[in-house]
Amino acid sequence: MAGGVLIDLQHITKVFPPDTVALADVSVSFEAGEIHALVGENGAGKSTLMKVFYGLERRDAGTIFFRGAKVEFRTPREAISAGIGMVHQEILLIPEYTVWQNIVLGAEPVRAFGTVDAHKAREAVRQKIEEFQFNLDPDALVGDISVAARQKVEILKLLYRNVSVLILDEPTAVLTPQEIPQLFAELARLRDKGHTIIFISHRLDEVLTLSDRVTVMRRGKVVGTSAASELTKEDLARQMVGREVLFTSRRQPQEPGEIIFHARRLNCSDIEHRIRLHDVTVDVRAGEIVGVAGVEGNGQFELVNAIMGLAPMTSGTLEVKGKDITHADILTRRMLIAFVPQDRGKMGASVTASILEDAIMTHHILDPRFRTWRGLGLDYRHAAEFVDQIRDQFTVSMGHSSDPFSSLSGGNQQKVILGRELLLETPFVLMDQPTRGLDVGSIEYVHQLLLDLRSRKRAVLLVSADLDELFIVADRIVVMCQGEVVADLATDTTSREEVGYYMLGGKEAAHAETGS
Amino acid sequence: MNVLFGLVSAMLVGATPILLAAIGGTFTFYAGIFNIAMEGMMLVGAFCAVLGSFFLHSWVLGILCAIGGALIMAGIFVVFAVRLHTDEFLTGIALNLFAVGLTTFLLRDIFHVKGAFTDAGIRAIPAVRLPLIDGIRVLGRLLSGYNLIIYVAVLVTALSAFIIFRTRFGLRLRGAGYNAACLNSSGVQASTIRVWSLIVCAVCCGLAGAYLSLGSVRLFSENMSAGRGWISLAAVILVSGNPWGIGVISLLFGFFDGLTVFLQGGRIPTQFTAMIPYIATLVSLYLYSVRKRRRA
Repeated sequence: MAGGVLIDLQHITKVFPPDTVALADVSVSFEAGEIHALVGENGAGKSTLMKVFYGLERRDAGTIFFRGAKVEFRTPREAISAGIGMVHQEILLIPEYTVWQNIVLGAEPVRAFGTVDAHKAREAVRQKIEEFQFNLDPDALVGDISVAARQKVEILKLLYRNVSVLILDEPTAVLTPQEIPQLFAELARLRDKGHTIIFISHRLDEVLTLSDRVTVMRRGKVVGTSAASELTKEDLARQMVGREVLFTSRRQPQEPGEIIFHARRLNCSDIEHRIRLHDVTVDVRAGEIVGVAGVEGNGQFELVNAIMGLAPMTSGTLEVKGKDITHADILTRRMLIAFVPQDRGKMGASVTASILEDAIMTHHILDPRFRTWRGLGLDYRHAAEFVDQIRDQFTVSMGHSSDPFSSLSGGNQQKVILGRELLLETPFVLMDQPTRGLDVGSIEYVHQLLLDLRSRKRAVLLVSADLDELFIVADRIVVMCQGEVVADLATDTTSREEVGYYMLGGKEAAHAETGS
Repeated sequence: MNVLFGLVSAMLVGATPILLAAIGGTFTFYAGIFNIAMEGMMLVGAFCAVLGSFFLHSWVLGILCAIGGALIMAGIFVVFAVRLHTDEFLTGIALNLFAVGLTTFLLRDIFHVKGAFTDAGIRAIPAVRLPLIDGIRVLGRLLSGYNLIIYVAVLVTALSAFIIFRTRFGLRLRGAGYNAACLNSSGVQASTIRVWSLIVCAVCCGLAGAYLSLGSVRLFSENMSAGRGWISLAAVILVSGNPWGIGVISLLFGFFDGLTVFLQGGRIPTQFTAMIPYIATLVSLYLYSVRKRRRA
């Protein structure tokens, strides 16, 4: 299906001052009418390469050919008028505007007196929607539609400007697992209509499902380009990380101990009195990892908030190691629970604070080492030592401890948070999507950390949207649907299909046997 | 009946400068600029109107000078807040304080008076009798015979509603306020749109200033704008920029302003009557927040 080389990037080099080599002599070519995946770990240079091509970043050396001619895009606008569009990770739309207004913004059809020709614009947008079968309402407010639909609006915005090459930067990062196949079907349809798609990702399964060819990058260099049909997941992971990566469970058989965490008949409602949690009962034993599965928005977030005391419960009891914490304040809970929230940048840490400040949060109150002047002052010498301890023990690659937290890569940010929480040495650990947005190497690290916790007889409750992850580390999987626990399954005796069946609202046929 | 006509007239006189400044403010509001410099623009406008009208012997040139003065203020705002990315709030405060100092200094330097300058040589903006309506008895008295700027203000309000909600410029203007990054990525420079919104704002504030010094009276006094720019800001925020809403709020303030003038004849001390517009501001803010909470 490939129609010859369309885009040819030759010997691209990009150095971020003072001496970070983001791209070192990178050469890749993309063929017309193919879906070409660009994969690599975070920081491998795949986004940077595309930004250089798209006119968002200057390059230090190299040449770019498009349709056989040497080109130079100084701004994205020039790239778009040449027929190349990029959809960024963060969606840039105006929620107060309708779908068609967002799409035509900047290229509006006008009538007399500079009025927007709403009829013409809406018709043009409707035609595009029909042409590509995008299933969107042109008059819906963008603020009211789902993230997946917003992403379609972004793509349509480029198609409305008649681009033939689409660059998508990790388009699936913001989608729920159910939305991904639809996006893939739409992208495949675009390719069949003759568009060229460059797809940046670090999720291996997706890459293999969707793309025709795959280029792997590692540390600013191209490892190789191959046809997707000739690759296996293991090949890709090895090329990306540079060593073997294990996808199978290394969970050793282990008899769990006493019950550490006990949540009994938790109920909670939102402001509009809709029931978000209904009689949720979960136990976690020492040396056991219990996974919480479910389609996003089925009560997992509320469960986490209820456990941490971040949202009020209407009824139910919570116990950790025999201590009733149902009405305890957050600080009391933190002495018993290590907590890794799903949103690193908002709840997990303050990105504008320094690494040191983020590393000693909670510890600065609980640990007397950090207190001077009867708690009025902070002992920075001990704090810096503590940061060193986290850095060494959790292999964080970082600059000085006074650097801002945002200077760390995603994986290293998560390592600092994990280090901070696990060094609290609590009997119970609660993790909410701890590997979301991390690259393969970091995910493997987190999984190993979870298994270490297990062998050290800690109780772990792991909320995850990634079923593979749960099957790798969890002993039991609790499935939530519409605020209820609908199944409690032993990982070794269940299957992905069974878990998926319950996630989508299947009723409890096997519930009695598995014994909740 | 005469009291009613007097009150309506006082209401319109009080509402006009606030309305014009607020309409200007609504453009910057939609463009996403926290612009508080309406007060200063209006004051400089009022001074320049007198300057132009007195020396050039023409109220038309007076109005043009007022707009020019306000545009210079907007130019300073553009250089600092848009080009150099200084804080909009601080820039606005600096401009407002600068306007008071500058006009007071120039008043003393050019006209050699303290407090206020008035002279028979200042040409006022004329009142206009509307054709047709003027002949109808009650309606004519109610609607006709006001100062030209009052009718201009009504036109400006309608025009701004049209521009903001119907035109391409309006779509981009609101886009700049909602999400400037999105507008930039759509190929329109948000900063250009913001500069235009400030220019429109300056023209409106210049008209408001000209009305203050050449409309109802023919004089310039120190700090003549007397907080009207701030009230216009309150009006913009209160109705989230809707031009028709701004019209209603301005009339309301105008009414209380007019009431103040009426009550000054009575036994209530003037210091108290002068508080009415500001108390009305606080009350309306309170009512607004109550309404907002009920909706949420």
